[in-house]
Amino acid sequence: MSHFRTENVGGSVAWILHRPHPSIQGLVRQLEVIGLVVREAWPELPAEALGADFIFYDADTGHNEQFPWAPGASPMPMIALIASEAPGRLRWAMEMGAHAQLLKPLSDKGVYAALLVARSNFDLAKSSAALIADLQNRLSSRQTIVRAVMIFVMKGKTEAEAYDLLRQTAMAWRVTIETAAERLVANHSNERGTDDGRHFDLA
Amino acid sequence: MKRVVEIGVLLSRSGMYAALSRASRDGVLRGVEEVNADDSLDITFRVHESDPEGRLDRYAALCREILRDTPARHIFGCTTSASRKEVIPELERFDGVLWYPVPYEGFEASERVAYTHSCPNQHLLPLLDWALPTLGTRAYFIGSNYIWGWELAQIARERVLGAGGSVLGDRYLPIGDTEIDHIIHDIRALKPDFILNSLVGESSYAFLRRLSALKQEPGFDKGFTVLSCNFTESEIEATGGAAEGLVAAGPWFEPNGGFGGSFHEVARQSVHELAQLLNGRPGAEKMPLSELLNTAIRAGQKPRLDATHLHARQPAIIARLENGRFNEIKCVAPVRADPYLTHRSRAPKGDVFLKVVP
Repeated sequence: MSHFRTENVGGSVAWILHRPHPSIQGLVRQLEVIGLVVREAWPELPAEALGADFIFYDADTGHNEQFPWAPGASPMPMIALIASEAPGRLRWAMEMGAHAQLLKPLSDKGVYAALLVARSNFDLAKSSAALIADLQNRLSSRQTIVRAVMIFVMKGKTEAEAYDLLRQTAMAWRVTIETAAERLVANHSNERGTDDGRHFDLA
Repeated sequence: MKRVVEIGVLLSRSGMYAALSRASRDGVLRGVEEVNADDSLDITFRVHESDPEGRLDRYAALCREILRDTPARHIFGCTTSASRKEVIPELERFDGVLWYPVPYEGFEASERVAYTHSCPNQHLLPLLDWALPTLGTRAYFIGSNYIWGWELAQIARERVLGAGGSVLGDRYLPIGDTEIDHIIHDIRALKPDFILNSLVGESSYAFLRRLSALKQEPGFDKGFTVLSCNFTESEIEATGGAAEGLVAAGPWFEPNGGFGGSFHEVARQSVHELAQLLNGRPGAEKMPLSELLNTAIRAGQKPRLDATHLHARQPAIIARLENGRFNEIKCVAPVRADPYLTHRSRAPKGDVFLKVVP
């Protein structure tokens, strides 16, 4: 929890995507009290909003075309402003990527909490997505490594020797084991297909 | 001919923090007397008082009774943050305003609460800005186990670490607990440069008495200084002299060594602030507070309360308790409240303070 306050929201820019309505004033007031710069837009967010730190958007009458990004791909935390709890509207609000929510009528309560929760969820989603991409990458590399090891095994090495050879090859080429495995597998396919004259002495 | 404006008072005369709430209550009643005796004002206040007896579950019901059963819209009251949070829904429902006259931890800005005392940029941060270069950067935090103690330690931790210092300990006691052997043991072993004491009531008095005894031990006579953002003149007597040397921060200290302290004075000021806002404006007690403040500002008045977030502008005074009275060490000119600490300059990382050698 300790990182919350150091991640100061003061000076952040928040866009409110909601039709002009007296009920928005409570939100505007509270954001300004907290120290944010507030901009309002309706019916569409301008491209300028791409630089925002937070987006508050109307979940009751909103639709995809209001946003300069694809659903769920906002480059900043998004906070849904909800009155109708009809499942269809809630589904749309979630598909847009609600990182937090506030219930209408908006008041002086819950705004600071929504900012911190939205930012935390946004950061978590971003780091999870990066981790998943990295793991997927490694998973496919893993298959390549197994194939590279199999090449050595087919040439008479034990599995342990094959792994050690792969490691030594990577060190000699000054590349990662994954990259070395990719090259070995590519080369092996070439050898078996059209011989282009490049050979590695695998033993 | 003065018109009568009814106000509510919701301050405990008994319970765990009675010394504090009684200081606030005396201040409110003094303010009311002064306003009623002031012929330059066209109003007199009539008080509807309820005593929550320091019991959290009584606040909301008593607040509702005042707002529903009397014409009073403005209530002076609450000591703890928990009780303030209890009454806010009632203020919203029955259209009332709470004048909250004690220091608090910030991170709130209700449209229905006038925060007239101070928040961390007006007490804790100026206190640490004085303490870190003067006393050293090895800190120890102790507080009562609720939001005031937790949040003060959290803010202080950030400031101390930002100044390149270290937090040697961070301990909490249940409210009213006076079992503090383990904490004295800690302090004896760690020898911090200063201790931020955010204990309230009996725990605080017991702690100060034990520390005072510790200072009699060899090697501790020139030791640590105790800092506090909630200790005032109203509690000196309860510590029996054990608080000597304590350094406190607040918007006001008794100039002639009295016993009410800032809890009394700010409560008294708050009554005057409301009187100035209502003076010459019949019916203005029913206006939303921010609108009332803006009206007054347009008329050339200079209220202490900020019309945007309803927190008071206050000076930050640092004072040391010597021979039973607080002597001013440093005074920071009145500063605007920053309840969410978003406007403060960030403490530079690794900033090295020079220690003043006495």
